[in-house]
Amino acid sequence: MRFRPRNVRSRLTLWYVFVLASLLALYAGVASLFLFLSLREDFDQNLLEDVETVEGMLAKEPNGGVSLHSHHPSAAEPRIGQFIEVWSPQGSLLYRSPALQDKTLGGGPPGPEEGLHDPPPSTSRLPNGNRVRLASSVYHVEDQRVVLRVAYGEDRLWRELGEFGEVLVLGFPIAVLLAGFGGYALARKALAPIDSMATQAAKISAERLGERLTIENPEDELGKLGAVFNDTLARLQAAFDQLRRFTADASHELRTPLTAMRSVGEVALQDQRSPVEYRDVIGSMLEEVDRLTRLSESLLALSRADTGHVQLQREDISIVLLAKEASSVVEVLAEEKRQRIEIEGDADLLVSVDRLILRQAILNLLDNAIKYSPPESRILVRIQGEGDKRVFFDVVDQGAGIPSEHQPYVFDRFYRVDKARTREWGGTGLGLSITRWAVEAQGGNITLESEEGHGSTFRISLPRAKYSSTSQSKGGSQ
Amino acid sequence: MHEGKSQLRILVVEDEAKVARALGEGLEREKYDVVVAPTGEDGFFLVNAEEFDLVILDLMLPGHDGLQVLATLRKRGLQTPVLILTARDAVEDRVAGLDKGADDYLVKPFAFPELLARVRALLRRGRPEPSQPLRLADLEMDVIARKAKRAGHPLELTAREFELLEYLLRHKEQIVSREMLARSVWKETARATPLDNVMDVHINRLRRKVDEPFDRKLIHTVRGVGFVLREEE
Repeated sequence: MRFRPRNVRSRLTLWYVFVLASLLALYAGVASLFLFLSLREDFDQNLLEDVETVEGMLAKEPNGGVSLHSHHPSAAEPRIGQFIEVWSPQGSLLYRSPALQDKTLGGGPPGPEEGLHDPPPSTSRLPNGNRVRLASSVYHVEDQRVVLRVAYGEDRLWRELGEFGEVLVLGFPIAVLLAGFGGYALARKALAPIDSMATQAAKISAERLGERLTIENPEDELGKLGAVFNDTLARLQAAFDQLRRFTADASHELRTPLTAMRSVGEVALQDQRSPVEYRDVIGSMLEEVDRLTRLSESLLALSRADTGHVQLQREDISIVLLAKEASSVVEVLAEEKRQRIEIEGDADLLVSVDRLILRQAILNLLDNAIKYSPPESRILVRIQGEGDKRVFFDVVDQGAGIPSEHQPYVFDRFYRVDKARTREWGGTGLGLSITRWAVEAQGGNITLESEEGHGSTFRISLPRAKYSSTSQSKGGSQ
Repeated sequence: MHEGKSQLRILVVEDEAKVARALGEGLEREKYDVVVAPTGEDGFFLVNAEEFDLVILDLMLPGHDGLQVLATLRKRGLQTPVLILTARDAVEDRVAGLDKGADDYLVKPFAFPELLARVRALLRRGRPEPSQPLRLADLEMDVIARKAKRAGHPLELTAREFELLEYLLRHKEQIVSREMLARSVWKETARATPLDNVMDVHINRLRRKVDEPFDRKLIHTVRGVGFVLREEE
């Protein structure tokens, strides 16, 4: 099972302590190794010097043996931990320190090569298991060649290393503990702004979306996080506002026909009327029912679009032909106002769209243009290829234009530039919202360009079909 | 089971009392013999016990689900045409209904003239439409030659006006809703605001040509419902 502390602070501290302890251990290991190597070098140096001293003290005994003797009486005494062996090249023992008793230093008689060319000291074990540092050398006592072995027990070396180790071991927990406290304090200090951000964020609810996190330093990581959070809040607030506005608008739109029905019905029942009058009342109420029906259908269509429940039946079609077809439907409306609908563009331009949905969008735009254009004006439908990738579909009217303060909202649900007029024309206030959805569902987008007094241009931009003819639009007037 | 072969029997399975009553009255006025079942169980029992020429079935019923009633009916091998009423117009719902053996469906809220038209079509199904001459009073249409005459005078109609008048004449003395016109004359699946205005313009033009020069008016607007071609009024 893994241990996982609950908060980041503790986790950070644990990690910090763990990393520091590992580093310390590594450091201690490396330091000990270096200390050991350097101590041993000193040790070896001493050993080699001792070899020379011992060499000077060797003297030949008359019986062919070798003995140690010195001019200084104290030096003749073998040092504590010092062991000496002298062998003849033939392998007979000439001298051995009394401290060695019967133990052999090198494990036996010397080989023919031992001690030649000043070899470096090496570590070996006595038969009792004690580790010694051993140096050999070949020396001539008068005319006799001997192999001299001098060794020191390594106890001193290990003792010094052990003392160093003790210091390390004693210091290690203290260092780690201090680091832990320090790390915890540091993590706490670093994370404190997050705590305060969380507290602030928890207070921001759907009712108080206007509030924002305070950002101390917008440049650091937390500042960026706070900015991102604030940004999300802003978008959330916008979405909530839009929803609230939509709900208010929708209930208004629903209440208007309901109010009409209610008052018409109630007034009709106030006194006796002729059948003709009753028919008129019922007819008037049915008109409102019709309006409600269309409104609920439009809302349903939009909500289905919102949830993405619309499946597109894409096909490659000529957008010019589609425009002509749509225009033939609403042409009579233009005729009534003696307006002309002109369609310019290359019939070879293909778009891959759901024909019925796009047709609805085009019908709405044309109907809009007819409604808002003065009699005897011209409505231009201009279709142009934009490179190989897109097709522009513009509806240009010569109407009054849309004031700039309304322009950002014309595609919003229930948004009406002229509230009285559009309702009178039987609009639901959802036409352009549905148009925008219809275009965006096909991977396109719709924009409005308008100047007051100079007409409006609605531009639909659609992805061009893959197998569209490559010839550029020649009909464009631009 | 039923005598008097002239009267066709229709079972209406609908739980909403107001709607059920309106449907019953409306259909009786059209000389149908109507039985109303207020729950799925009643409907279930009635289709098992009696014979009907048509069943109008609401999909959302207490007790038995409308689709269950339909499935049982078809399992028993009854070929009675079934018209489904649904408040949900999601494609899946329609497909489910048609899969289970429904013959047609209508989405609530529907226009009553539309329901009548569907009922007539379903009851007529299998039998060829009686080839009545396309004539009302002194208005005559020749669909093959695409000519229309009133009191012997030829009428100059555009293609759309001709289709519109033809549809009204084929449904003479029946109220035709805007939805029916949108679907049959303009071949539109959805009725949108522009189309309503377009319809009004065409009806006005048709009036100018068909009715204005004559004393007797044939094209009438039924406020809030639609249009009707008939003699009186």
